[in-house]
Amino acid sequence: MFAYIQRHFDLQVGISSLLLAVVGAISIYSATYDARAMGIFDRQVIWLLSGTALVLIIAFIPLRLVQSLSWAAYFFTIFLLVSVLLFGKTVSGSTSWFNMGAFRIQPSEFAKITTVLALASYLSRSDVSLRAPRDFLTACGIVGAPIVLILLQPDFGTTVIYAGMFLTLLFWGGAPRFTIIALVAPVASAAAALFGTTFFLIVIAVFGVLIYVTKEHRLVAAVAFSVMVLFGISVQVIYDGLRPYQQKRIETFLNPNADPLGAGYNSLQSKVAIGSGGLFGKGYLRGSQTQLNFIPEQWTDFIFCVPGEEFGFVGAGFVLALFALLLVRGVTLASIVKSRYASFVAIGLTALIATHVFLNIGMALGMLPVIGVPLPFLSYGGSFLISSTIMIGILMNLYTNRKEY
Amino acid sequence: MAQQDDIHIFQKRRVLYAVLGVMFLAFLGRLYQLQMIFSEEYERKSDENSIRIISRDPIRGYVFDRNRRLVVDNRPAFTVTIMPYEFDKRKIPYLSSLLGLDTLFIHERLKKGEDYSRFSPVKIKRDLNFTELSALEENRDRLMGVDYQVESKRWYGTGAHAAHILGYTKEISETQIRTLGGEYQQGDVVGSSGLEGEYEQALRGQKGAEFSTVNVRGQVIGSFDNGRLDVSAVDGKDIILTIDIGLQAFAESLMTGRRGAVVAIDPTDGGILAMVSAPDYDLSFFSGVTPSQVWRALSSDVARPLFNRATLTRYPPGSTFKMVLAAAALETGTVTPSWRVTCGGSFRVGNKVFKDLHVHGSVDMTEAIQVSCNVYFYQLMLKTGLDNWSRYGRDFGFGLLTGIDIAEENPGLLPTTAYMNRRYGPSGWTRGYLPSLAIGQGELGVTPLQMACYAMVLANAGEFHQPHAVCALLSKGAEEPDTLAFQNRRVQLAPTTWKVLREGMHRAVQSPRGTGSLARVKGIEAAGKTGTAQNPHGPDHAWFVGFAPFDNPRIAIVVLVENVGFGGSYAAPIAGLCFERYLYGRLTRYDIPQRTAVITAKEPVPTAPVAGR
Repeated sequence: MFAYIQRHFDLQVGISSLLLAVVGAISIYSATYDARAMGIFDRQVIWLLSGTALVLIIAFIPLRLVQSLSWAAYFFTIFLLVSVLLFGKTVSGSTSWFNMGAFRIQPSEFAKITTVLALASYLSRSDVSLRAPRDFLTACGIVGAPIVLILLQPDFGTTVIYAGMFLTLLFWGGAPRFTIIALVAPVASAAAALFGTTFFLIVIAVFGVLIYVTKEHRLVAAVAFSVMVLFGISVQVIYDGLRPYQQKRIETFLNPNADPLGAGYNSLQSKVAIGSGGLFGKGYLRGSQTQLNFIPEQWTDFIFCVPGEEFGFVGAGFVLALFALLLVRGVTLASIVKSRYASFVAIGLTALIATHVFLNIGMALGMLPVIGVPLPFLSYGGSFLISSTIMIGILMNLYTNRKEY
Repeated sequence: MAQQDDIHIFQKRRVLYAVLGVMFLAFLGRLYQLQMIFSEEYERKSDENSIRIISRDPIRGYVFDRNRRLVVDNRPAFTVTIMPYEFDKRKIPYLSSLLGLDTLFIHERLKKGEDYSRFSPVKIKRDLNFTELSALEENRDRLMGVDYQVESKRWYGTGAHAAHILGYTKEISETQIRTLGGEYQQGDVVGSSGLEGEYEQALRGQKGAEFSTVNVRGQVIGSFDNGRLDVSAVDGKDIILTIDIGLQAFAESLMTGRRGAVVAIDPTDGGILAMVSAPDYDLSFFSGVTPSQVWRALSSDVARPLFNRATLTRYPPGSTFKMVLAAAALETGTVTPSWRVTCGGSFRVGNKVFKDLHVHGSVDMTEAIQVSCNVYFYQLMLKTGLDNWSRYGRDFGFGLLTGIDIAEENPGLLPTTAYMNRRYGPSGWTRGYLPSLAIGQGELGVTPLQMACYAMVLANAGEFHQPHAVCALLSKGAEEPDTLAFQNRRVQLAPTTWKVLREGMHRAVQSPRGTGSLARVKGIEAAGKTGTAQNPHGPDHAWFVGFAPFDNPRIAIVVLVENVGFGGSYAAPIAGLCFERYLYGRLTRYDIPQRTAVITAKEPVPTAPVAGR
């Protein structure tokens, strides 16, 4: 019996994600313990149960069927992204929601997955090589369409998630090192420019050396280098054009203490919550930061503070361990499946989850800017939880069908 | 996966494992840093977030007089507060019009309060009057976050001003918060002068604190840790004065409309019975919020009502100082009491002529004191010398601080040879300067308080008690007050010397020829010495120092009335009335001397500040 389960179910993925979802539900219960946020926990549990059912269904769909539906699903979600811009509901400055009766659906959550499927489908074709500029540009187009539509909402956080996923796929797909470096360089120089001239010059120098080492054609290398420098220099212009809340978040990231009651408030309170947890935490439902609502909307983006405060280093470490298990398993899975398509899907989905974890926990720990990105399985949100469980379903499907070519 | 890629798939996998490893190690390290290394600091911050300390003000101590009559009381006063996080700053102009405050002032107050905590009420205006209170109450819906709290303010119900003794309380200033230290906060009331200032620590008591748990909106959820950390306020100690508030009020009424000072002292222990500095002011004007025009009027008044003349002003003492010279002459053996001088009404030293008021004929020392013969003392000074004179002057406490407990004081100036050399150069002054000092003129400067102590020492024939206005502190609930200890010393003179000095003073009041006969009280043997001091500010200052009863003194007194004329005419009657009021407890006479101020048995009612003439 156990052998059968082991053969057909990826237990590492299943159990780690299930435990994470349970920790999430417990945390949401604590974060919404007072009467004002009643109903959030109940809804999350419903989403979680339906998500679990979904995982089981998806796990047994034939891989061929998933693969053949990749493009259709991709274009459908692109259509949804266009529609949401036209007919969607605006929540806190961002038009990313559909109202469907009692439910609200966020198409960008699902577009992440279909983009992975479409990219995997394209990259797994034997006549496609990332070394060919035409194919490379096509891949960029596939990921670029949803990115542009999501930036229009605007939703900065999800864009970064796409970027993380795409870079990983490029790396996995054997894109030349130069290509990856040339893509990362402008972003790195732009980010560095925010920290000041010295930092900017160091980054320029490092990437200059990296570009040189790739031995790319001189003209191409020069173009890549110039693009990087131009990005860095124009970052101030771009920065000035950013929305004030985004500007303020970046400013606060650079110096969170400068405005502890304003833009730096969330970041500081989050650190206080986690830091005050100590080794074993303050006890369940006894974290003062959590129970007294010092962190606004804690059940969404700042949910990591709950285990951090109420269960301390032990609890937060446990959550990190579960994520590590899940993500390492995702990478392993990508390397053991026989199908090239499956490999790309596995690495793409793992990269999506990893980027979420990176941005969210980095933010909660005060190491990264406050970018509104939820934590998979823990944060409250129907669309997000369902899209996360779909990813788990697909990963388990890949495992079940790991021997198919 | 069929690969023609430049890196083998397992190599790529290793790179991704490494990336994940770095990420998780970084997170774990950060967690370790936050939760293990700096956890105490974050715990403190977390507590600060959710624990609000609400301070509870103690009741400021009461003040009683020597007969346990309540002198200073507390009455409720309403204070407007603003809770910064609830308050809409756009309402400031409206609020300022309701309360008659400057908008900028409210802005500043609010800013300072916010810096401390957005969840603690900021005091905006103390002691609201009824109109302001009702205007506020009517518009409460429109003024979210505006509230008022009941505080106490000082209340003075006896009719006596006693302004310079009691002193006033004021809202604490920025500088005071810095210098006084931790316990004080913006909006606190602090004793700023007189005994309110001097006994601030005892009077204020100790603040209490209640620890409450609050949510992010500052709403109190309940007490923290079941109130285990709460500290209840310790009320301030009551103060028991040596002042007889009835005598104080009476003396004030005698000085109404005059400038000067009266200090009465209990010679048996140095307790101040009354201390008047005229003009004075009504402390009620300082108990709530002092309107700035009142402040300006008081502080710019040329008569300086805020200034305590009794302890801070140097005056020439005039003839009242003659006993010092007499003592020095007798003690050094320069003359005997029977040494006589024939007074021709004037005296010449070199080409200078010193005058006397009368031609006294032949007088001995006792008579010279009795009739205040200047010529006698001019000659006596030249025989005794400056050094002896200033040595005994110092013995009586001149040129020194008296050590009084409630007020700032001035040591005065007692010229010595060293001083004269410094001032004029060793050869710049001559014996010709001495006769002026003999009759309490020249450089000599004394405070009325020093003169009161001088009267006390003469009354006691040597005993000097440190003057004080507070004799005991009474803790709330305690049966017995804690009596304060003060220092005593003795002015060592031969008994015969004391006898001469005191007898001269006795006769000055009681005998027909005496200059202080207007201080006489029916049925009481009093003693005293008048003085009429020339000064550059106008007519002479009238002085009287004395004590009563002669054999068993219970009150020693000094009266100074500025710029009116003879001490015997203006100061002595006031002293006499005070003797009577204190020793009999009431006035017995009906023939009140004409030259004293308007006297009513009625004690004055606080009205406007008594600033001015």
